[in-house]
Amino acid sequence: MPILEVTNVTKEFGGLTANKDITLSVQEGSITAVIGPNGAGKTTFFNLVTGVYQPTSGEILVEGKSVVGLKPDEVAKRGISRTFQNIRLFGEMTVIENVLVGMHKHLKTGLLGILLNLPSTRHEEIEAEKEAYRLLEYFDLAELLNEKAKNLSYGAQRKLEIARALATKPKLILLDEPAAGMNPKETKELTDIIKKMGEEFGVSILLIEHDMKLVMEISEHIYVLDHGEKIAEGNPDDIRTNPKVIEAYLGSGAVQLGQRSETNANTTVE
Amino acid sequence: MMKEKLIGFLQNKWSQVILFTLFVVITSLSLYLSQKSVVAFLLLLASLLILYYMKLKNLTKWIIGGGILFILLPMASSGGPAFQSYMEVATMVGIYVAMALGLNIVVGLAGLLDLGFVAFFAVGAYSYAIFATPQASNFMPFGSYPLGGESFWIFLIIGGICAAIAGVLIGIPVLRVKGDYLAIVTLGFGEIIRIVFNNLDRPVNFTNGAMGISSVTPPSIFGIQLVFPHHFYFVTLVILAFTIFAVLRFEHSKLGRSWKAVRENEIAAQAMGIPLVKTKLLAFALGATFSGMMGVVFAAKQAFIDPTSFTLLESFTILVMVVLGGMGSVPGVILGAALVTILNLQVLTELTNWVNQLTLNGIINVPDALSPAKMQKLIFGLLLVIFALYRPIGLIPAKNKKFDEKKLKTNRLAIDRENTVAIDKDNV
Amino acid sequence: MLQELLFSLPQVLIDGLALGAIYAVVALGYTMVYGILQLINFAHGEIFMTGAFIGTGFFIMLMGMSWAAAIPQLLLFIIVILITASFTGLIGVGMERVAYRPLRGAPRLIPLITAIGISFILQDVIRFIAELTTGRYILTGPSLFSDQITISFSSISSWFNNASFKTSFLIVLITAILLMVALDYFVNRTKWGTAIRAVSLDRETASLMSINVNKVISTTFFVGSALGGATGVLFAMQYGTIDPYIGFILGLKAFIAAVLGGIGNIRGAMLGGILLGVMEMFAAANLSVLTGGIFGAEYKDVFAFAILIIVLIFRPEGLLGKPTAEKV
Repeated sequence: MPILEVTNVTKEFGGLTANKDITLSVQEGSITAVIGPNGAGKTTFFNLVTGVYQPTSGEILVEGKSVVGLKPDEVAKRGISRTFQNIRLFGEMTVIENVLVGMHKHLKTGLLGILLNLPSTRHEEIEAEKEAYRLLEYFDLAELLNEKAKNLSYGAQRKLEIARALATKPKLILLDEPAAGMNPKETKELTDIIKKMGEEFGVSILLIEHDMKLVMEISEHIYVLDHGEKIAEGNPDDIRTNPKVIEAYLGSGAVQLGQRSETNANTTVE
Repeated sequence: MMKEKLIGFLQNKWSQVILFTLFVVITSLSLYLSQKSVVAFLLLLASLLILYYMKLKNLTKWIIGGGILFILLPMASSGGPAFQSYMEVATMVGIYVAMALGLNIVVGLAGLLDLGFVAFFAVGAYSYAIFATPQASNFMPFGSYPLGGESFWIFLIIGGICAAIAGVLIGIPVLRVKGDYLAIVTLGFGEIIRIVFNNLDRPVNFTNGAMGISSVTPPSIFGIQLVFPHHFYFVTLVILAFTIFAVLRFEHSKLGRSWKAVRENEIAAQAMGIPLVKTKLLAFALGATFSGMMGVVFAAKQAFIDPTSFTLLESFTILVMVVLGGMGSVPGVILGAALVTILNLQVLTELTNWVNQLTLNGIINVPDALSPAKMQKLIFGLLLVIFALYRPIGLIPAKNKKFDEKKLKTNRLAIDRENTVAIDKDNV
Repeated sequence: MLQELLFSLPQVLIDGLALGAIYAVVALGYTMVYGILQLINFAHGEIFMTGAFIGTGFFIMLMGMSWAAAIPQLLLFIIVILITASFTGLIGVGMERVAYRPLRGAPRLIPLITAIGISFILQDVIRFIAELTTGRYILTGPSLFSDQITISFSSISSWFNNASFKTSFLIVLITAILLMVALDYFVNRTKWGTAIRAVSLDRETASLMSINVNKVISTTFFVGSALGGATGVLFAMQYGTIDPYIGFILGLKAFIAAVLGGIGNIRGAMLGGILLGVMEMFAAANLSVLTGGIFGAEYKDVFAFAILIIVLIFRPEGLLGKPTAEKV
């Protein structure tokens, strides 16, 4: 059963069509990737799914229910969480506080509970802190718990964003270029984490990524966008050899090249 | 060598306690014995700052601090004829500290620049003043007014609630507006409320307009009327204690975290499921509550209020307190509010008197235009610019809560231990 | 009721136009700075006030000199307005240098706070200087161009009352229009204007195109503040009496005008200014009639803020602005 179903979604900004007639679905428990050259409309698409933008037309269903017209926080409550291409951590807050903010929507305590420091509030808070700590351990960030998020290394910040997103206990997590700016070793580590993560946290994954090695290695299904339109979809092997994809990335000249030798095309896409 | 020894001595807990006790005893005694010693009074207040930096448990600090404020300060200053004026200053400090703490929720934690904060103070003050004078009979269809002095205690809550409602009413249109505009819109609202209070003497006379409301019924408790500054000092202190307690609770709860998250990055906060408008409204409403409560105290203490007490300058004064002390930092804001209030009420007037004295004696000639009492705006302006440029974190910067790694780990260790025990058993 | 409204309309329009022209030129300063730095320059109202004081100071000084009496008033006026504009322009540049430039990377709250600080400092410094030199801080300038002119609207139709104004009204209006036309030309037709527009669109790319961003920002502040100061002179001439606190509320209103027209949009600021001026005068004259005496002219400031809030909620991009979405 698909966790996310997007049908014929179009987004226009004034005269510019950023996303045109996109249809896409993410199966429960799967890892799905959206790729495409810069400016293809991938991040716009993420913003449509998470409620930051509203689609001009089309339908977005999460577990069969429409999320069109909902605000980002309401979409988050339906079980969708995300990371950002340009990291958006709460810089002045500590690492563990960032994760605790992710848990916000699961904390039940009210104003009176906070003011009177009721036992239930205290209990809930301690449990949340422990859970946040476990998440940090999972991402190897536990020693940094009292560090300000803005002081972390780039790679650590990317990981913290994922940890924070997972803290919301999402059904679907959207990762926007999780490996951007990471060195090969960090990327390798991240690849492993993403692979395991789906199963361990029971979360489906939709990611945007430019690192083709990572995408080909972990994705079960890939969608390719170009100029705001979906130009191809399929499993990694289909995508690797699809002439339309190669054209989008490298221009029409490369297609002839690709047709001449499939292995060549393989490397060029990477 | 000497220096190291001295530092070592000063960092020792017990030597700190001894020195501190000595300091408090000397200042209290000199305050008690001297006829009028502003310096001793200020030094005694400063002992609280020293206390803050001492190596003691938090609870101990609270108890000592409470003891100084509730018992020592009123006793020590009761010695001379200036008793009531000391208490007056201390009361004003308390009122401003509570207001600054309220604004700190809005500006410091939630990152919303509110430039009309005094509006909530005004709402609180008018809510009591109207009902504690015959003013209310102009429009109330039932009941007889003024209400008795006992109603003051209920009005502390009503005033807080009225201010919170005003906060929400202002917030609903304002908080849809993006960041920078907020400052202007709140500034506008601050002015609107003042203009409205200034003109609400017709068609129905609610506020008595620019004439103000006088002869506000003094509060009473157990049949005693509270009229002297030292009475209000204790009332203020109790409310202040509640305020500090509450803001600390808020800051370290999920609420405080959601405010800070909104301040740090609205889009990410929303993506984490935090509703923006609701979170900001709550900051507005809760911040306003403390201001409203102190408004009630202010109206009762002054026994007279008019719109001139609630000008833009007041809003900016509270903002200066927050920026100076450290946005988002409770101890910082307390210090900032105390410093600015004392500067306003004591230092500037003392300086002016001194300058006037010198001018009278012909020693120097300072023209009236440059008298220190008139320099308030210049000083505030300089403070704002200097702090924003060189120390935006303020005098006592905000600190994040430190989590104890060991405590958070316990769970897993326990499981590990169980596992090891199980393995050991297997081995046996 | 309609009769009463129409009766006073000619005078309302004339007063509104004078006030609106002043709002419009001050609004330009807000809009230019906002366009280029996305910063609300709170202290702009004080620059306007400073201009009013410098201008009045010069008038008083020149009037005291015998040789100046020989110069035609109009020429005197042009000299004073040029000198004042250069002064306030430099103050604006200095302000940016000291209080805004070091904070370009800081959280947005911080430059707003320095702006408030600068406002306070300017208010008090001007008060000191005025009080030290003249003994009081409320100044009344020499009355210039004060011949009364009456337009007999009543001869057109008996619905209207006559409207009268001083010659200064014409001067204010003409100068304001000249300033706006000159600015429009400067921004849209000159090399410097192109640089300003480039920097406000994309600072980084502009700097890659070998545009000196700091210089462009300084220029913007100079031009905006010079306009603000010049308007101060116009204000002092039109209304006679000034004090160090006129800048704050007037600045706010001008800001409202800028938002009404579409902040960052220069023609929008002009439109917004004129509209707000006329609406405010209309409210001041007619609120009492319209509400059956419940609300009077004292609520005209409330009216202006109400406009701001309505615009921000329903059309935050303003009348001439284009909607923008934040990049995520």
